[in-house]
Amino acid sequence: MVNEVELRQELKALIVQTLRFEGLTADRLADDTPLFGEGLGLDSVDALELVVALEKAYGITIRSHEVDKSVFTSVDSLGKFVARTLVAASPGSAVNAQ
Amino acid sequence: MLNSVGRQQRRVVVTGIGAVTPAGWGVEPFTQAILSGRTTIGGFTRVDHAAHRTHIAGEVPPEPPALRRVRGWRRLSNTDRFAVGSALEASLQAGLAWPLADSDAAVFFASSTGGLFETERFVHALIDAAGTTAPRGLLASYSLSSPAEAIARRLGATAAVETVSSACAASALAIEQALRAIRSGEVEVAFTGGSDCLCVTTYAGFNSLRAVDERPCRPFRVDRAGLSLGEGAGVLVLESLDHAVARGAAPLAELMGAGSSCDAGHMTAPNPDGSWAAEAMRRALADAGLDSSAIDFLNAHGTATPLNDAAEAAAIRLVFGDRARALPVEATKGVVGHLLGAAGAVEAVATIVSLGAGTLHPTPEGGPVDDALGVDVVLGQPRTSSALRTAMSANLGFGGANAALVFRRWSES
Repeated sequence: MVNEVELRQELKALIVQTLRFEGLTADRLADDTPLFGEGLGLDSVDALELVVALEKAYGITIRSHEVDKSVFTSVDSLGKFVARTLVAASPGSAVNAQ
Repeated sequence: MLNSVGRQQRRVVVTGIGAVTPAGWGVEPFTQAILSGRTTIGGFTRVDHAAHRTHIAGEVPPEPPALRRVRGWRRLSNTDRFAVGSALEASLQAGLAWPLADSDAAVFFASSTGGLFETERFVHALIDAAGTTAPRGLLASYSLSSPAEAIARRLGATAAVETVSSACAASALAIEQALRAIRSGEVEVAFTGGSDCLCVTTYAGFNSLRAVDERPCRPFRVDRAGLSLGEGAGVLVLESLDHAVARGAAPLAELMGAGSSCDAGHMTAPNPDGSWAAEAMRRALADAGLDSSAIDFLNAHGTATPLNDAAEAAAIRLVFGDRARALPVEATKGVVGHLLGAAGAVEAVATIVSLGAGTLHPTPEGGPVDDALGVDVVLGQPRTSSALRTAMSANLGFGGANAALVFRRWSES
């Protein structure tokens, strides 16, 4: 079982640590802050950096053709995606058993 | 005006200038530095130089905080940032609001290194961290064309956006391209110049060639021992005189002509007799419809390597003949170092500033002038003259690339 509250905190720390740009701190990141556009202002290069960091941190594989862009909307959506992927990949899960 | 074959051609004027140099962000700190008689070359931190033979360079200080709010700033390489900072300053002076309403604005821009500094950092991270955490964003603006594109994006310049990378003559050659595009009627306005950032590749490379002085460089001096590297950018806003007049812009100078040539000789050494450098100067004079006697001073390439200064002095003798010893010469690199792909543009800015002020800027003191060169280099103190009307700026690059520009102080007549 994944603790989604803790996971969101982890993700905020990961985003700050990975992207390291001026003015980016964890307290600027609410669960629903838009990561792109008028929110945090991330771009496609940031998205690539985040994918690499998420794969390394959680041992998951993110294939671009399988992942909807909406996953990267906010920390909340990102947390749900990572939790879902971890559950699917864990021993004994329905997906893994097939 | 009439060109050398008597054809009427469109006049091209400079309506804005911008500079980022080791003296700071803007033409104002640059002007103060070149008039001061002191060098900005000294210790620096941009790259780790502990293992090198020399430990000095001209390093640009951090940008004004307001620039960090420019959209997309954090994605830009240092070279791009110098370019955009200079272009914004030049467009403000020219009175051109962004995005440019005039869709005929072009960008002809130069760089020798583009985002090489950031690419080096990426490769270091890749090696150190076995690839997994190397920040890929450092590669976003690696290309040589990135400074020109960054200017175009920021200003909304949608005509030709082109990059020249012919070593240390690159930005003078870019200015020549801009001149020709405006004369031909292809465009009305062009942002032109060059930008380069210090990086390991150039610092190690010029050191390997034993081309770097351990002390701040001393152009045209008897004990000159090589160049000093610098970084920064220079930008000119060029436009047709008709276009400038129609929108009520005040020209700073007229770009009368440009000329270029290639030694077609050695990879790094200039042709010692200066014949092809002289040819570029003659072509610029012919393009301007002027005799060499019309030139009141020369802003020289003056890198302070033994070979460059000797070849350039030979070219000056070939072009200016008996006047060579009496022609005042500015050597800007003694103040800010060699800005590589930005050198021609920053030195064009120095030339325009000198014409406007009626004052030749000095190169800092540092040993006696090499009398064998026969060059009247302005040393130590500014030299004021009411007779400064027309000037040439020359650049001699690796690979034998030569370029010369002729500027005239603007007067209503």
